[in-house]
Amino acid sequence: MVKGYEVVIGLEVHAELNTDSKIYCSCKNQFGLEVNSQVCPICMGMPGTLPTLNKKVVDYAIRMGHALNCSINRVCKQDRKNYFYPDLPKAYQISQAEVPLCENGYVDILVDGEERRIGVTRIHIEEDAGKLLHSDKFDGVSLVDLNRCGVPLIEIVSEPDMRSSKEAHVYLETLKSILQYLGICDCKMQEGSIRCDVNVSVHKPGEPMGTRSEMKNVNSFSAAVRGIDYEVERQISVLEAGGTIVQETRRWDDVKGISTSMRSKEDAQDYRYFPEPDLLTIVVEQERVDELKATIPELPNIKILRYVKEFGLNIKDATFIAESVELAGFFDACMAKGRFGAKCYTTWILGELVKFMNETGKTLADTKLTPENLTDLAEVIENKTISNAGGKKVFAVILNEDKPVAEIIKEQGLAQVSDDSVLEKIADEVLAANEKSVNDYKGGKTNALGYLVGQCMKASKGKANPGKMKEIILKKIGE
Amino acid sequence: MELYEKNAWELSEMLKSKEISSAELTRSVFDRIKSVEDKVDAYLTLNEENAIETASEIDKKRLAGDQLSDLAGIPVGIKDNISTKGLRTTCASKMLENYVPPFNATVMDKMTNAGAVITGKLNMDEFAMGSSTENSYFKPTRNPFDTERIPGGSSGGSAASVAACEAVVSLGSDTGGSIRQPASYCGVVGLKPTYGSVSRYGLVAFASSLDQIGPLGRCVKDVAMVQSVIAGHDGMDATSAYREYPDYAAALNADIDGLRIGLPKEYFGEGIDPFVKQSVLNAVKEMEKQGAVVKEISLPSTDYALSSYYIISSAEASSNLARYDGVRYGFRAENYDGLVDMYERTRSEGFGDEVKRRIMLGTFVLSSGFYDAYYKKAKLLQRRILGEFTSQFRDVDVIATPTVPTTAFKIGENTDDPLKMYATDICTVTVNIAGLPAISVPCAYDEKGLPAGLQLIGNKFTEQTLLNAAYAYECISGGFRKPEL
Amino acid sequence: MNIDIRHIAKLARLRIEDDQLEKFESEMQNIVNMVEKLPDIDDEMTLDENNPMKLREDVICEEKLTRQELMQNAPKVKAGCLVVPKTVE
Repeated sequence: MVKGYEVVIGLEVHAELNTDSKIYCSCKNQFGLEVNSQVCPICMGMPGTLPTLNKKVVDYAIRMGHALNCSINRVCKQDRKNYFYPDLPKAYQISQAEVPLCENGYVDILVDGEERRIGVTRIHIEEDAGKLLHSDKFDGVSLVDLNRCGVPLIEIVSEPDMRSSKEAHVYLETLKSILQYLGICDCKMQEGSIRCDVNVSVHKPGEPMGTRSEMKNVNSFSAAVRGIDYEVERQISVLEAGGTIVQETRRWDDVKGISTSMRSKEDAQDYRYFPEPDLLTIVVEQERVDELKATIPELPNIKILRYVKEFGLNIKDATFIAESVELAGFFDACMAKGRFGAKCYTTWILGELVKFMNETGKTLADTKLTPENLTDLAEVIENKTISNAGGKKVFAVILNEDKPVAEIIKEQGLAQVSDDSVLEKIADEVLAANEKSVNDYKGGKTNALGYLVGQCMKASKGKANPGKMKEIILKKIGE
Repeated sequence: MELYEKNAWELSEMLKSKEISSAELTRSVFDRIKSVEDKVDAYLTLNEENAIETASEIDKKRLAGDQLSDLAGIPVGIKDNISTKGLRTTCASKMLENYVPPFNATVMDKMTNAGAVITGKLNMDEFAMGSSTENSYFKPTRNPFDTERIPGGSSGGSAASVAACEAVVSLGSDTGGSIRQPASYCGVVGLKPTYGSVSRYGLVAFASSLDQIGPLGRCVKDVAMVQSVIAGHDGMDATSAYREYPDYAAALNADIDGLRIGLPKEYFGEGIDPFVKQSVLNAVKEMEKQGAVVKEISLPSTDYALSSYYIISSAEASSNLARYDGVRYGFRAENYDGLVDMYERTRSEGFGDEVKRRIMLGTFVLSSGFYDAYYKKAKLLQRRILGEFTSQFRDVDVIATPTVPTTAFKIGENTDDPLKMYATDICTVTVNIAGLPAISVPCAYDEKGLPAGLQLIGNKFTEQTLLNAAYAYECISGGFRKPEL
Repeated sequence: MNIDIRHIAKLARLRIEDDQLEKFESEMQNIVNMVEKLPDIDDEMTLDENNPMKLREDVICEEKLTRQELMQNAPKVKAGCLVVPKTVE
């Protein structure tokens, strides 16, 4: 609720699929290459050329459909969406209108500790358009680069189920991490591999839904949040001033932080959809649909819930680990060993490991860390072979070297001394040299004990087991 | 008899026995072009230099003992909507006046690999929209049997060039009758293959679900020879049918004993010229004498075929022709003010009236609020028409009809009345609507000496049956008669 | 059925000059009257499951045309790009 209004948000997310070739031709699907270098007569829409559908695009879209609990239309078709624009060489986009590949799904997200189910209306496959380049150098003209034409897209359309920009943001982050989990999209926001259109309306509680506006040109998740917040404020102020909301398409300007009207419903485009006659019916065997379902891993939104419920992680930590495919995979493998509790591992993962990754820019895969050597490390700390400080030293080594923990301890001489006779000898020497502190302690100054233990540790060059050292000192000065 | 007058299969034998060379044959055809082209106007672009060069290469290969196809060294004309790498492909439109494709249509790769010698690009109605070749931006083509008359269309150049012996065989395209109808008017044989049997890759699209490339020739055997080369599955065309295709020419035979021929009463009613009607019935009677069994049948939805055809073809055309916007290739208007104005001026100056009419009709039937009433209805009717054919093909092997209701009309006679022009497609459009194969063979000449055609329609992928039936009839009738030019 | 020729022409990006409007209007009206003859069929279009499409394997084609070859037909080229009047959107 914002100022007494309920907010209703629906999102249309476009994700570029990371196939090798484009959706309807064999050109390379790669970002950032020289202008008009990844084009052929087909994606340039030359007269007489025809599309052929990339099998992997269908597979990827079906996998996303499974991940979002959709029913899969294993018999479906493609349609033409007709409109003129210089970035659209055929003057129509091959998309899916009537029958999308996937529909009627949902995704569960966690917002402020509460589970929310967001409906997914449909997922369909389509081709991306090219790019228009504007520059002051070229007066009065725009330049057209067609490299992006035919890059495969899936469009994920949500139900109007979100009630705040925060929910929209969590939904977007959830979709992103699912796409990454499936390995079907690079999810590089700065390259535009995920883009979204936002539908927003507001209404008073108990009243029917308000008129919605659609916002385009939303190029990042944070821009989506800003755009939604702006649009909600705008609509409320229009209504409060006694005005009405008109159905329209608006354009978000993230630099200025405002949206402006692009076109009203009256001059809405008439796309004249009709079945693409150059392509036949897509028929995917049920067996293949099932096979693809079996490839879906446990997804991050499900993992978060499990980490919270089963392992007792807080939502922040659970989300941080679950949203990274590699951290979650590592954490799950550690937990599968059944040796230590979650806390033991998350301390290392969220502490030293993340610190290392942030400082070096490396990924987990770049390190030599394994669930095995990390468990070995936890083991030697638990049985007090080494100290916590020694543990950090060992960790720094196993990040970079494929060397057994025991060997590292030996090489660096990190093993703690727990032998009573050795420790007693150190204690005797330290106590003898620090009579004043001993007397202080006996006189009731308990913090003198810490000083004495510290001196013993120093004398042992840090190798003494501090717990045991303390016990021995207590025994001796208590005598 | 001059070399250019001979049929492809005869020339193929002569080339094989090294009685003649391809260079010699090609020169003979170009000599013929030089002597009659100004009367016929069949060509938009001539490819003489390359043709002679190809012919000489083929001759060299033959002398070297290479294994060559039947079509090797034979001069072939190509309709100007089939993409030819490095050779201007205009679709007879101002829009593509200077367009040179950087790639070959799949059929061109096949023809080139078979050693065919490409004589040039043939005139047509602009973007294949029309029935008389009067809609060419460049010039009308004339009927070799009477140069005051139209050769039919849209493959008018393909039919006229073969009839005038300016090419031995040719390739055309057929969306609603565009191969068969001009073949009938020009007294030659034209085959519209089953939808999906010849790759459309590189054929400049008019109506994607109806377009099909096919051969024209002066005899059935020549047509079979070309069809054997161009038929086949193509990975570049998703609508191309994945199956085995026979060598039609090798399997050709004239035995029609027991062939079941259906005569659909709807194709012999009002609007069919009595001479044409009688000629077709006579032809069927001749086939009956050879052992064919004739039966009257009914295809009740025929009356609606023309409407269904114009809706579907125009809808697809409106979308297929939207790409001509003056950005990537083709004509761009000289003066404009901004993007939308550039689009509108480019398209209005680049397209002729008939193309504009079809684009507008197609845009209208797809537009919001009208889709169900027009496009969807037409598609449902298409399914019904196919159903009626399919059920008839349980009882008959081929269906015989006139190809066109009349013989060729005069240039300019129907240009002011689009509907009258559209009506000439009445016997041919059903075949495209149903995706079936059909062939037109000359069956009679009227009192003015103008040819009329017999159309034989078959079930999907029964080209061999059609070719055999047409071949049998040709053996009876004597086939092509050369016009005086 | 009355057809709004101006609207249709706008959708199709065609310019109809005032002196041609009437001609196109009446021709279109005649054509639409003809195609309106279609009977009502109380049925829905279905997808043809028996004629499935062969899909292409996800393989990049290395053999390709150069930018020069692909752009040789373009009316206006600058800096390796196609040139159009400035777009606002």
